[in-house]
Amino acid sequence: MDYTQLNPNQKQEMLQAIGIDSVDELFEVIPPSVRCDEGLDLSPALSELELQRQLAEMANHNSGAHNMTCFMGCGAYDHFYPVHIDQLSNRGEFLTSYTPYQAEASQGSLQAFFEFQSQVARLAGLDIANASLYDGATAVAEAALLAVNTTRRHEVLVASTLHPEYLAVLKTVLADLAVTIKEIPSRGFKVHPEDIETLVSEKTAAVIVQSPNVWGQIEDWDGCFGAAHTIPKTAGIAVFNPIACGLLKTPGECGADIAAGEGQPLGNALNLGGPYLGLLAAKEQYMRKMPGRLVGMTTDEHGRRVFCLTLQTREQHIRGAKATSNVCTNQGLMALRATMFMTSLGSVGLQEMAGQCWHKAHYLASEVSNLDGWEIAFEGSFFNEFTVHCPLPVTTVVEEGKRRGLLVGVAAAGRRMRGLSAGDELIIAVTEKRTKHEMEALVSLFKELSS
Amino acid sequence: MSTIEQTMKSSRNDKPVEPLIFEKHVESMCGVDFPPLDVPESAIDETLAGAGINLPSFGQHDVMAHYTHLSDRNFSVDGNFYPLGSCTMKHNPRINEWAASQPGFACLHPLQDDDTIQGALRLLYETRAMLEEISGLHEVSLQPAAGAHGEFTALKVIKAYYAEIGQPERQVVLAADTAHGTNPASCTMCGAIVETVRTVDGQTDLEHLKEVIETVGANKIACFMITNPSTAGLFDVHIKEIADIIHDAGAKLYLDGANMNAMVGRVKPSDFGVDAMHYNTHKTFSTPHGGGGPGAGPIGVTEELAPFLPVPQVMMADDGSFYLDRDRPKSIGKVRSFIGQFGVLVRCWTYISACGPLGLRNVAETAVLNANYIAARLQDLYEMPYFSPEEGKFCAHEFVTVPRALLDKGVTLIDIAKRMIDYNVHPPTMHWPVHDCLMVEPTETESKYALDQFIDVMRTIAEEIEQDIEKVQCAPTEADIARADEVSAARKPVIVFTESEAN
Repeated sequence: MDYTQLNPNQKQEMLQAIGIDSVDELFEVIPPSVRCDEGLDLSPALSELELQRQLAEMANHNSGAHNMTCFMGCGAYDHFYPVHIDQLSNRGEFLTSYTPYQAEASQGSLQAFFEFQSQVARLAGLDIANASLYDGATAVAEAALLAVNTTRRHEVLVASTLHPEYLAVLKTVLADLAVTIKEIPSRGFKVHPEDIETLVSEKTAAVIVQSPNVWGQIEDWDGCFGAAHTIPKTAGIAVFNPIACGLLKTPGECGADIAAGEGQPLGNALNLGGPYLGLLAAKEQYMRKMPGRLVGMTTDEHGRRVFCLTLQTREQHIRGAKATSNVCTNQGLMALRATMFMTSLGSVGLQEMAGQCWHKAHYLASEVSNLDGWEIAFEGSFFNEFTVHCPLPVTTVVEEGKRRGLLVGVAAAGRRMRGLSAGDELIIAVTEKRTKHEMEALVSLFKELSS
Repeated sequence: MSTIEQTMKSSRNDKPVEPLIFEKHVESMCGVDFPPLDVPESAIDETLAGAGINLPSFGQHDVMAHYTHLSDRNFSVDGNFYPLGSCTMKHNPRINEWAASQPGFACLHPLQDDDTIQGALRLLYETRAMLEEISGLHEVSLQPAAGAHGEFTALKVIKAYYAEIGQPERQVVLAADTAHGTNPASCTMCGAIVETVRTVDGQTDLEHLKEVIETVGANKIACFMITNPSTAGLFDVHIKEIADIIHDAGAKLYLDGANMNAMVGRVKPSDFGVDAMHYNTHKTFSTPHGGGGPGAGPIGVTEELAPFLPVPQVMMADDGSFYLDRDRPKSIGKVRSFIGQFGVLVRCWTYISACGPLGLRNVAETAVLNANYIAARLQDLYEMPYFSPEEGKFCAHEFVTVPRALLDKGVTLIDIAKRMIDYNVHPPTMHWPVHDCLMVEPTETESKYALDQFIDVMRTIAEEIEQDIEKVQCAPTEADIARADEVSAARKPVIVFTESEAN
């Protein structure tokens, strides 16, 4: 079904109103040589029933967090979210609306995004936030550009413990803009403020540090941003996990100027990597150079509080080549899910969720480190993810895990995380969803494999 | 003013303002619950612990109520005619949503091994093949997250190609004066320089194009970004000549695929000389706009540009299995984390499969028919600079009207747009691509009844401007709110709630 709704009589009436005999006349301006008269070489249309069958068959050819136990993280987490998030966000009034340019016809989306911005700013411990970007990686890249545009400096220092895919996207984005990326070396799976002090200079626009970092270890944001701020105006960019903010110090509490992160853990499914949403929060001084959509509070002609898109002069549809970014949308539906999720949790729920992540991850880490030959890779603190050295090839662990319905973690040396390590590390994430029973299954697998 | 006063204030039939979550929350409430912790607690280092996040909290029913109230304050394709030009607000089939929510798609971790996600990779591979066939181009990348992201990615690819063949001086990108704002913004993000090419009557000015090439120097030009049908809603009649001129200059022709809905199944972009293009799946292929995303902006390119596409690429092995290829030595690298907007691409596959080749062709035909029908029925009241059936001048899937006669009677374009809201119609795109214009795109999925109703609304508003102009000047009077003061919002921006904002 192509979802059109005209019958032949209606088409005829419409052609008559236009004063033509056939639809082909409307396409006559197209030179005959470029018309595709032979038609497209695609499979014939499928009915909805056939679609359901074929899609179910393809979906059934996948294993994942729905039919295996998922200990994989590294930027995408198998968190719980309540059913009402699906139900509410699937309401057609939200799902099938466009970017809320017309304030009078879009107060629902606008208020939700305003509330989202307010919640994200609180999570990050900073003054302001935008209405979301494509994903965590692009949020980090846009944060770097924000610092570059604000300081007019052309170098960024990036922790080598940043998620390698975020670094890869950052490299792509900065490649043509004459901005140099310098990596801050790591020792013991984390970076050190004294290295930043050595590297930072009058040329440095930003110092980017992720915590917990890609290995799961908590970085010394206070020290890192303190080192960054030894040079005036250099921005401290914290790459953060929104769930961790329920327990740990926020980017703002640690002296960050800008915070960027992946918002998927807030009520969004794993979705094989997308759609997700990028979170971007900052101190107030960055507001007029923020990329992406911003919703502001105002009044209508009757003096009532209402909302509208604001500071649009930053944006591409007004500024063209001088815009702060080419980003033209937010991830509206994902941001809506995230705000619904945060509203459903509140402070208490977020704290409970973060606490369970912490306790469960630490329980599992302690059980694994009690096994002969299995060793936690770093000494520092972690939140819901940690790295272990495996006493046997990581691929064997991963493969045996799959056979037993366990996604055991992310192999650092695997080609998907290329650039991280050529070693024996396995990065294991534990969310509030993992039960003691599931963790025991993982531990006994490890034990058997190494005995 | 107290919240309750705000809520009740109603000088007309206005709907009450919905209080913010920050104003009606209940201390220490929670709308979800968790199983009891089944492991021993581990102490948290005090130096790491935060002071606590102050998020408003509710019981579950109040969460439902809040968002249900908000949803009631939104126009949508489901509930309203939404003829937003250049945005293709077509019906969003719910089979698409069902597909994307299947646990076998929604619960996949992006770093899983290929052998555990063969069904998902098959779907991506087939989507890639479908988009290659529709564009006629050699290879499609599914990586970009949105149309603007597709532009950015394709420009990077083109630049990488020229660097590779020893012509790195090609840094200038030509764009029409009616181009989408994202075109020049994407160029800036790639470090390219934009030169504008004039349009005349919604068509590329060939003489000016040649002039610009002459002035800039043919060897400095990377590509010409063209939208076809143009943003004025017209097929560019010189498209073949334009392609020849650009190719003679040694540059590439880039198609902004925003308006593919007018061509899908009737014209393959490669047939008129396109070297690279992006799709907007949320426009042409019915993935929902979601209040501003998520979209997806796959790009297609010719064989010579293909080696530079971003990683990863979904491939089929000789044994018929599928894998993600990250080993493309000439690739521009990664443009997004993981493997793109998978959930959006599931919806795209579903839509294209539902339509089939004949359906897609009918989509383009019906979209164009609908637009021309409305234009024909309104042209006596709303001037249409590019539409004149008597002279054989038709529009594509959208048309531009500059209602000069009505504006001269003392209303602004905004007045007309806001009055449409009173009649439950979402206003068309305004002041773009030319000043004082409305750009109307009805899409193919509207019924004749809906089109006729819209025509009636537009005719009624024209009549009101003659007879009762205040009704239009004061609009909207029936909407959730009166006109929002966007000027003050930008002058003193308040973009987050703080306690001092409480009324």
